[in-house]
Order: sequence, then structure tokens, then C-alpha cells
Amino acid sequence: MRRRDLLKGACALGAAPLANSLLARPALAADTTVRWWYHFDNPQNSPAELVARFESQNPGIKVQAEPIPWGGGNDYQTRLFAALVAGNGPDCAMVRLSWAARFQQMKALEPLDTALAAWPGRADISDDIWKINAGPDGKRYYLPLQYVVVYLYYRADLVEAAGLKPPTGFEEFRNVAKALTKDGISGYGMRGGAGGFDHWGPFALGGGASFEKGGMLTEKALAANRRFVDLARQDKVVPASAPTDSFRQIVDAFKAGRTAMTIHHVGSAKEIVDALGDKVSAVPVPRAPDGKGWTYFGDESNAVFAASKVKEAAFRWISFLSTGENNADLNKLTGQLPVASSARANWTGHPKRFVDASSASLPIAGSLPDHPKTPDFIARVWPANMQRALLGEISSDDMMKAIEQLYHG
Amino acid sequence: MSNAAIAVDRRRVTWTPFLFLAPALAVTTAIVVYPVIQTIWLSFSNYVIYAPDDQRFVGLANFRTMLGDEVFWISLWHSAIWIVGVVSLQFLLGLATALLLNQSFWWRGLARALVVIPWALPSVIIGLMWTWMYDFNTGVINDALIRLGLLSGPVAWLARPDTALYAIMLALIWQGFPFFAVTILSGLQTVPAELYEAAEVDGATRWQKLTKVTLPSIADVIATALLLRTIWVANSLDVILVTTGGGPGYATHTLPLYAFLRAYSGMEFGYGAALALVLTVILFAAVFIYVRRASGEAAR
Repeated sequence: MRRRDLLKGACALGAAPLANSLLARPALAADTTVRWWYHFDNPQNSPAELVARFESQNPGIKVQAEPIPWGGGNDYQTRLFAALVAGNGPDCAMVRLSWAARFQQMKALEPLDTALAAWPGRADISDDIWKINAGPDGKRYYLPLQYVVVYLYYRADLVEAAGLKPPTGFEEFRNVAKALTKDGISGYGMRGGAGGFDHWGPFALGGGASFEKGGMLTEKALAANRRFVDLARQDKVVPASAPTDSFRQIVDAFKAGRTAMTIHHVGSAKEIVDALGDKVSAVPVPRAPDGKGWTYFGDESNAVFAASKVKEAAFRWISFLSTGENNADLNKLTGQLPVASSARANWTGHPKRFVDASSASLPIAGSLPDHPKTPDFIARVWPANMQRALLGEISSDDMMKAIEQLYHG
Repeated sequence: MSNAAIAVDRRRVTWTPFLFLAPALAVTTAIVVYPVIQTIWLSFSNYVIYAPDDQRFVGLANFRTMLGDEVFWISLWHSAIWIVGVVSLQFLLGLATALLLNQSFWWRGLARALVVIPWALPSVIIGLMWTWMYDFNTGVINDALIRLGLLSGPVAWLARPDTALYAIMLALIWQGFPFFAVTILSGLQTVPAELYEAAEVDGATRWQKLTKVTLPSIADVIATALLLRTIWVANSLDVILVTTGGGPGYATHTLPLYAFLRAYSGMEFGYGAALALVLTVILFAAVFIYVRRASGEAAR
């Protein structure tokens, strides 16, 4: 056989599968793959069962669920934004409200209004949640998935033994924290590290600070921040590690009995109850003397990206996750609360006292401003300035000036 | 052979090395030269990743901003402490380890394998491991020091501005000393035994043998290892990112970490690129020395 004949044969052999694949394109198109990015607090939990259920109900659609490290939120959002800019983003992903403005500027999200109008599960999500999740331009880009509300965990046994009541106001909180700070225990497990804005918010934002122009620099705002910083600087009711303590540290210290109160949401209730049993309970975060308050509404939604080539299939997957029983099963994996009212009605995912504390916190729950600078506030500006204020490197007023400058120059 | 044939043959000889090098040059251009040029270009722009339509050329504005940026100067100073402290202590520890491992003892093979473990671990694992070892509430370091009576209570090593940077440096010294140990050990094994025998005959002490025979014999190896490690340590930010994220405050900010935070947290790729470029220029001196050495050795 001559070399030319051999090459011809080889080309023919190579061309056959190629031709077959081209001819088979319509069949392949039915096998759509949806890439979904997610994060669970417990990385050992897997959505495989939900994926299998969805795939059996939606033949032809495969879901590629990709867990992305959360890293206090910073890792996840950095990877997501970088992937979108690089043109290698997922079709849909779990997203937060505080990123919406950046997505908006990038024109990265697909409006869901039409799809949502035809989705039967829409009425099963309360109007309050739809209201919080509305897009800045009036369109809907987010499909709510789960939520948490930040509240105060306290050691009921220690509070009772000291003849005190769980605190409801700032001054009471300070007094309880001071009374419980003894014998190697700190009254309050403050979170000064990554994600700690949800400890600062109830005191500073609840005490009168706001993200409006000049809102960080009013006398009321400055006084509220001083009060928070003084818990560490003056009253010394927090552990020495508070400036860099993050989620893992505050929860572990509370579980180990090193702190008597801390602030987090229902997502950590299970492991705290496993460690402390009935010794722990929860109430809403303390309020300001004028009765006003603020606590963080930890939202989590799904969004479909504008660059996706399988938008319809992606919407089917994310709407599946927010529907009744599926929504309940997902929240058993994430440890948060379902948005579907039918799933919440018989919710047994958490002890009742923590679900009650979450519900009682809703009237003062809010999110951070929908502003392009908010992710930088969370990840860089707040931690650096909070830590410097806690360590006495800058005054608490200078910290507020830095936040004001970030948002308003 | 005719003159024409010789000319053709010469042309073939001239082009052959370039043809062999072409794939490597193409890859280097794609993954090194192009990103470097792009970084230089970005440093002259106000590129913010979520507002790509607003990107414009701003000349040297990013560099002027840097001069008045307090955090830049703090980070630069920390980078200097970081590089000098980490590289010098890694070297001393690596040298001592290499000298020990060059001795004869029955479990030397096992010891040589064990010493490489810190070097083989991923930086993220190192960061997490040391974070929990330093932990205020449950850390083994506080526990051990309290049990030994050296501390009366736990110390928040990573939350104190006077200890945080040095605590992370210790973790990195532990991670990186095996590189020096292994490199210097390989150098030690090339030193001829006759030199030690001659020194012995001349009545040299152990210290004199180290300073007059061993170190001069492996000077080239040490210099190359120091230069390479300086470049790596200067660029290293992963362990800091995992342990403290740059905190408390700016206490563990180094220049690459600050550039990373501005680029990926603030999404200010223009300013982040300018910060990275300054680090590159500073490191260029080390790279220049390394390339001079490498080309000098190749010429020998």
C-alpha cells in the first residue's frame, strides 16, 4: 500500500465519527448540560440526590453541580466574577443580593420576569421575600432559594445562674456580657474577622448609622459605633482573638464554653445544640434605646447568567430547587430556612426556638446596600478598619470615616 | 562540496536551534510575555472589572495614588521584613539540616524523606494547619506553652499586630526550609572528601572546615537557592491569605497580598496591576542577578 493510500484510509476512518457526530447533532442538543455553582456550609453535604430527582423528571437535561469554596463569601464571589469576565462562568449559580449591583453593571444576569410569570411555584414564596429580592431596575433577576436571619445565641444556663434575663437592648446586652465575663469565659464572642459585619450591623446600623451620604458620620452613628468598639476596648467582654475571629472561631469558642453569647444564624444551630444541648437558646439581636434595630437578612438566591446558552434548562433547574419539597430537602443540606411557604409549614430542620428567634427577628431584618462597593466593604474595608479600631490603631470615628469614604468619596 | 552547498548547509544550521526552541518560546509568550504586557497596560488604566465600559487610559495616575496610599507603604515595609526574615531563617535552618543529614546514621534515608514533608504540603493546608495551631481557644501552641509554664494564659497570636506577621513567617519558614536542606545537601555531596582530609591533616577545627572548605565549595549552590527562594517568598501570599487575610488591620499586609485584595476584592484591576508592577520592578533586581548567574554558569 502506498503512503498516499494509507493517508486516505486514515482520513476516511477519522471522518466517519465526525460525520456521525454532525448528523447526530439534534439528538445531542436534547442532552443539555446545566452548570450550576453552589456552596454549602458543610462541604460534605452533596446535592446529588436532588440532581438525580431533577434529571429523572426532566429527561435530556443533565446538571453539573460544582461546589465552590465559600471563604467567608470572598472566595466564592471572586471566582464567580472572574469566571464570568473570562467567559467561562456557569449557566446559573447561588448568588447574594449584595452582588446584584455589580452584576447589573456587567449586564451579567438574565431577566427572569417572563419565566417567573409562568412558574407555578411563584405564589408559594411570600411577598416579603419577593420584595427584598427585586432587581434595582424593577426587573427580576433572582429566584429566592433560602434565607437566614442573624440573631443572638446565649447560654441560657449561665444567664439564669447569674439571675439575669436574655438581653433585648444595647445596655442590657453590655451588662449581661460584663456579668458573664469571668472564670476564663468571655461574655460576648465578637466576630472581627471575615463576615463580621453582621455583628457590627446590629449595634452600628441598629444604633442609627446608615449607608446614605453622611449616614456614617452623624453623632448618633458615631456614638453607636463607639459603643460597639468599647465592648472590646473598654469593657473587655470579648476574647483577645476577636479582631480576627471569623465564623469557625466564634462558633467553636461558643461550643467549647469559652464565650457566653455570640451572634449568628440558624445555620449553626445544629452543631451548637449537639455540643451544648438545652444550655443554649436564642433571641433577636439587641435593639437601640429608641426601639429601632437592624439585623442581617442573609439571602441566598439563584440566578441565570446572560451568557448561558441553556437558559431555559437552567431556569428549570433553579425553579425546581425553590419548589416545595425540593426546597425543603435543599435546606436540610444547607442548614438554612426554606423560602417556599409549603416547605416551611412543617419544617423540622432546626429546633423550634431557633426558628422562632429567626421569625421574631424579621421585623428588623435588612440587607446591605445594593451598591458596587458593597462587596469591597464586606471583604476589605470593613474588616481592616474594624480590626484597627478594635486594636486601638485608629479611633472608632476614623473607622466610620473610612466606610463613608468608600461609598461616597 | 561547492560554495552554494556550504551556504545552504550553514542556513540550515543557523535556523535549527530556533525551530527547536519555537514551541517553548510560543508557550512562554502566551503564558508569560502576554500577561506581563497586559499587566503593564492595565496599570495605566482605571480598569474596574464590573465596569468594563468605563475603562480609560489614566497614565501614571495609579502610581501617583500609590505614593499617597498609606497601605502601600505599610505593605512594602512588611514585604521587606517578610523576605529578609523568611529567606534568611529558612536558609540557616536548611543549612543546619543539610549538615546533619550529610552525616552517617542508620536512619538517614528515612530522615531525608521526612524532612521534605513540609515542602510537599500545599500552602493552603499549611495555612489552615497553622491557623488552628495558633488558635486562641483550642490551639496546640497555646496549650503546650501553658502546660510548660511559659505562658500564664493563651495568646491571640494571629490577632495581635505585634505577633501576627512573625507567627505567619514562622509557618512559612517551616514550610520552606526543606528546599534549602535538599538543595544544599546535594551540593555537599559534591565536595571532594580529599579537601576535608587535607584540612584534617592541617589541624582545622570543625568550624574552620565549615567556613573554609564546605561553604566556599557550595557557594554557587547557595547563591542560586537564595535567589530563587527570594523570588518565591516575595511573591508568596497564599499562607497569609488563609491565616489572617492580611489582618488584623494591615498587620500582615504584604505587597502581593495588597495587590491581590485591591484586584479581587475591590475589583480594581488597574490599581492592582500597578501595585503588582512595582513588586515586579523590585524583584527584577533579583531576577537580573539570577539570570546573570545562570548565563555565567552556562558559559563555563
